[in-house]
Amino acid sequence: MLTANHIQELCRYRDLILRIAWSDFKLRYKNSALGFLWSLLDPLLMLIVLYVVFTNLMRIQVEHYQLFLLLGIILWNFLDRGTSLSIWGIVGKPSMVQKVYFPRDILVISTCIMALMMTALEFLVFIIFMAVFQVMPGMTIAYFPPIFACQFLIVLGLSLALAALNVYFRDVQFIWKVIVQIGFFATPIIYPITIFPENVRWMVMINPMAQIITMMRDCILYRTGPEPLSLVYLAISSLLVLFAGYLIFDRLEPNFAEAI
Amino acid sequence: MAVEMDHIWKTFQIPHEKRTTLFENLMGLCRPNSFETFSVLKDISFKVEAGECVGIIGDNGSGKSTLLKIIANILRATKGTVRVKGKMTPFLELGVGFHPDMTARENISVYGTIMGLSRREINDSIDDVIDFAGLHKFEDTKLKNLSSGMQVRLAFSTAIQTEPDVLLVDEVLAVGDMEFQHKCFDVFNRYRKEGVTILFVSHDLGAVRRFCDRTLLLGGGEQRAFGETGEILDKYVYGEKESNLEKEAAEKETTPARPNRWGDKKVTITDVKFLDKFGMQSSRFSSFDPMTIRIFYSAPDGICDPVFGIALYSEKDQHLYGTNTELKNTTIDKIEGDGYIDLEIGRIPMLSGRFLLTVAAQTHEGNVFDWIDKKYSFEVLRKDRDDGLFEVPCKWVA
Repeated sequence: MLTANHIQELCRYRDLILRIAWSDFKLRYKNSALGFLWSLLDPLLMLIVLYVVFTNLMRIQVEHYQLFLLLGIILWNFLDRGTSLSIWGIVGKPSMVQKVYFPRDILVISTCIMALMMTALEFLVFIIFMAVFQVMPGMTIAYFPPIFACQFLIVLGLSLALAALNVYFRDVQFIWKVIVQIGFFATPIIYPITIFPENVRWMVMINPMAQIITMMRDCILYRTGPEPLSLVYLAISSLLVLFAGYLIFDRLEPNFAEAI
Repeated sequence: MAVEMDHIWKTFQIPHEKRTTLFENLMGLCRPNSFETFSVLKDISFKVEAGECVGIIGDNGSGKSTLLKIIANILRATKGTVRVKGKMTPFLELGVGFHPDMTARENISVYGTIMGLSRREINDSIDDVIDFAGLHKFEDTKLKNLSSGMQVRLAFSTAIQTEPDVLLVDEVLAVGDMEFQHKCFDVFNRYRKEGVTILFVSHDLGAVRRFCDRTLLLGGGEQRAFGETGEILDKYVYGEKESNLEKEAAEKETTPARPNRWGDKKVTITDVKFLDKFGMQSSRFSSFDPMTIRIFYSAPDGICDPVFGIALYSEKDQHLYGTNTELKNTTIDKIEGDGYIDLEIGRIPMLSGRFLLTVAAQTHEGNVFDWIDKKYSFEVLRKDRDDGLFEVPCKWVA
């Protein structure tokens, strides 16, 4: 369980966590000429398609729609990538599970950190875009780290549960893919939350990802701080997801080496 | 106390129908899946003192590796508790986490970290590792372009940088050439001198005899014996006869008499038994131990001056040795009825392997009474680390 002891243990293994994350990250691009650029190409292409569709055909009236869209996609991509890579975090490294022992959540944590590295690259592109469109963030940018930390906890919590479940049920990956796809459209990524009537918005905003993306846009693009209540809700829900993830992971972990 | 095992049980549940997807599990809800339970370890309890080297031996499938994995915390015991004191490093497989697309240097970093080295330790020792593995020219070569021998050397050199309190070793020494094995043994000697507790699973009884203070013998998941190495090895080699005899009997029955027996049957050879140094029947022997081959015959009509002979073959059908009573100037006046004749071997010179025996009874002129070709066999288990088929009596003078 996620006890103080366990966190201490993880700290002792921080070298290992970072080393696995970094080598996996490097390996992803080792054999491609364009290297890191590939990871940028994917969200950019999606951005272009969505941008063309939504500005010309659907006519959504949002200030800085390009950045609005790109930020949403980057944040959603972090969730998508983190979880779908982590699904293979345990199953994809059988020898690390069957031939050596270290706390196995390390494999999932390092996969999430690798996804974080890829997202960091995308944020670099985002900064360039902000400069190009001459949008300067205000002091509210200070809200970025805590909100993003909450998202990391959510991604980690989901990843732990998915990685553990995928050891026993190999179709979890397909089910999850569908859920992520639905989530993409159910979360205000390509549209602003204001397209919903006032009285149903809360239903959309139950989703912590909707909270994260909305708050991030407010504090990065529109110089508006989040409402304290939303921030508290996000903190609580992200911790809940993390604990639920650990609960499932710890329940299933003892038999990994046999079931893999 | 470095390692303490307290009434360890390990049971695997093998479902009759393997369900690997959520879909299959949902569909199977109404049809309960039945399990075959299979106990791999049954009530294992032993204690290893700090600084001791303990060997774990037993036939294939006796639970040796499972036991090691439970100590390593990779598998969890179904019942019982394991206590390990200090830092433990398992050498269950060399090169865990090696990736073919990374360079030798990068792989050392990753593998070293997995083996529990800190970043500073790795930075300090990485050049030593490359030196020791002899891979100077190849340090920035991708692993996939190195030969498998180089990869093993690389893994081993990295692994031995660790400074564990408890070391678990599973058969990794079996890979690699002679030179590599010698390197391994040197390293394990060093570890022993440093007072590292070592648990060592091996089929190489010679190595176990040399290194291990005490030995645990497993058989069918049960703890057959635990104690001083020499005693346990004797028990392993000469003990557990019944099961072996049964097996052999079964083998004999399943291989019907091939056309490998001839003769006029005035004397028939009814059975051949191999007796060990305790005078007990056995089919397994340690090299350099005494052995007696007892040939049972039946000569209903009585025969004067017969000649008994044997021939030894290796498993590859090389003729190794042959002798008979005539060549050894042993005369047998007359045999009548049932009886036996012994061939005493003072010291088995073969090092290891399975050996086939031909026995024959004939006249001095070469008329065969009964000739049974390569029907009987026994096994010799290695006692020390000499290499080859048999020992040449010799010594070094320096």
